[in-house]
Amino acid sequence: MIEGSGASIEFRGIGKRYGETVALADLDLTIQPGEFVSLLGPSGSGKTTTLNILAGLISADSGSIMIGDTDVTYLSPDRRGIAMVFQNYALYPHMTIAENLAFPLQARGRNLSRLAIKAKVQDVADTLGIGHLLARYPKEISGGQQQRVALGRAMVRDPKVFLLDEPLSNLDARLRLKMRRDLKALHQRLRSTIVYVTHDQSEAMSLSDRIAIYQGGRLQQCGTPADIYRRPANAFVANFMGEREMNNLPGTVVQTGGGVVFKAEGLDLTLPSTLSGWARFHDRAVTLGIRPQGVQIGQRADATQCEAVLRLVEHAGTEQFFYAQAGGVELSGAAAPDTPLAIGDRVSLTLLSRELYLFDTASGAALVQGGDLAA
Amino acid sequence: MAVLRSAPLRHLLRGLVSAVIVVAALFPIFWGLMTSLKPARDIVTFPPSLLPATVTLEHYATIFKAGALGFLLNSLLVSAGTVALCIGLGALAAYGLARFEFPGKRAVLVAIIAVMSIPVASLLIPTYTLIAEIGLVNTHVGLILVYSAYQLPIVIWILAAYYQSLPIELEWSAMMDGYSRFQALWKVVLPLSRPGLIAAGLFVVVFAWNDFVVAVTLLSSEDTRTLPIGIYNFLGFYGREWGPLLAASMVSTIPLLVIFVVLQRYFMAGMTNGSVKG
Repeated sequence: MIEGSGASIEFRGIGKRYGETVALADLDLTIQPGEFVSLLGPSGSGKTTTLNILAGLISADSGSIMIGDTDVTYLSPDRRGIAMVFQNYALYPHMTIAENLAFPLQARGRNLSRLAIKAKVQDVADTLGIGHLLARYPKEISGGQQQRVALGRAMVRDPKVFLLDEPLSNLDARLRLKMRRDLKALHQRLRSTIVYVTHDQSEAMSLSDRIAIYQGGRLQQCGTPADIYRRPANAFVANFMGEREMNNLPGTVVQTGGGVVFKAEGLDLTLPSTLSGWARFHDRAVTLGIRPQGVQIGQRADATQCEAVLRLVEHAGTEQFFYAQAGGVELSGAAAPDTPLAIGDRVSLTLLSRELYLFDTASGAALVQGGDLAA
Repeated sequence: MAVLRSAPLRHLLRGLVSAVIVVAALFPIFWGLMTSLKPARDIVTFPPSLLPATVTLEHYATIFKAGALGFLLNSLLVSAGTVALCIGLGALAAYGLARFEFPGKRAVLVAIIAVMSIPVASLLIPTYTLIAEIGLVNTHVGLILVYSAYQLPIVIWILAAYYQSLPIELEWSAMMDGYSRFQALWKVVLPLSRPGLIAAGLFVVVFAWNDFVVAVTLLSSEDTRTLPIGIYNFLGFYGREWGPLLAASMVSTIPLLVIFVVLQRYFMAGMTNGSVKG
């Protein structure tokens, strides 16, 4: 049994397939003790498979898993010292909240006295603000309260590792933001290792020490939120992170007499001299990526410029987003909320160099990240 | 109330139809009960009276003197034993089928359905031979084993469907909380499967309590007889004496009726569950 605060987790070459479908391909991932790591990706990308294999609920076809110094690959879930919160909370409907919270403490081998269990349950319930609900049944309390009970049941035996499977996805937007903050505070206090599955990139960004991002059963990249956002390993990661999708412009890089030019459909972008290194990509199909925040109205020295016509404007509180036609492509950009914008206006657009990404169109691999050549 | 006001006629009609069905179903039982309480000379009066002028328990006294209590206890023992064995084995077998993947699982499921469709009468001789071989003819244990063999398929089927309707995360959660799979079954799955268990149990108890054919084949001595055989023998013994006959019928019908009235909502839940999922 593994108890106490924070254990490390190590996946070594973990693979899982269902018939012909690869659920998880050769996963290598190390999580530090006390780290908050999010497994992020669309549904079916392998993140929940990773979690269930770590929990011991399904077995891997290949590879091994270490928790702390223990090889848990072949241990049953009850012997891995892990607590888990499920998306649907999985509260036991035939038990009161107090009984739900006490359940993990009554498992064989824990040998706790009735009094000790009672005290621990009360303590956890008070921490989570559900002390007044102990006598009720799960169906008699709200979704947010059920969520807290599920968390409490995981916390009650001080596990070294917490697994959370989309725990906030059944809550309404406001409550989700509040629980997000509470979770973060809880992690800072407990310092347990937390593995958190989500498909919501903003949740992953705001909560995690590191994010592991998945697609099609493969780990695409693992890094800090800032790292993943600024230096995505490929086009998938770049497009998955951020509130809005990137502008993606398929095209080619051409060396001309006037400098290096990116040729998209009906649009030639002359790159500033600082980006002259892009000339090396002249021989392949590439995709230029830029987030809306990098596309701004107005002219700027030593940046990429183009002319465009505004097609649509959206107000989003702190800023406004616009869509503009430039040659054969549509660019989305952002402007300050007080900028006067009218549909049909001709505008000059600046593509900020530090927001430019370049991907190999065939493989999706990043060639340029935030204006810098990828390592 | 809103229904009553918006469609009073439909409401009335539905009530009437229900009333007709209830009367048609319950009248024979009610008639039997009333007759069993009448003194012998009042039973054959013409015109017949529905309610007894004087209530007497003499017929019940007669059958109990003739050994009905022994038959009743035998029936209780055999029914309880069959239910216990069927639920005990069925609950585990159904869990295996509901939650594990193993080679031949489909074949097992199909075999269970196939076995259910074999009429009991056609199995009578082979089962008799088998039970005779192992020396359990004329014993309650033998009868319980045979009843369980007949009823296990339906029990497994109902329970497997019921288990599948429960979210698997509940079991996973129990396992994460430090319980083995068996403990998770015992502490989480079974308490939540109460409607399914009761529905399956009712199927078994109805069969075991009412069975005549199997019991009359396997049991030969008076002291092992169950209630249906006992009543059958009254039929020969008392001839046209309706009082003791109907008293015996009531003793055999009413316990089951009471069980059904108390548990009927579980029975319906279990039935529909099985039908949708199965």
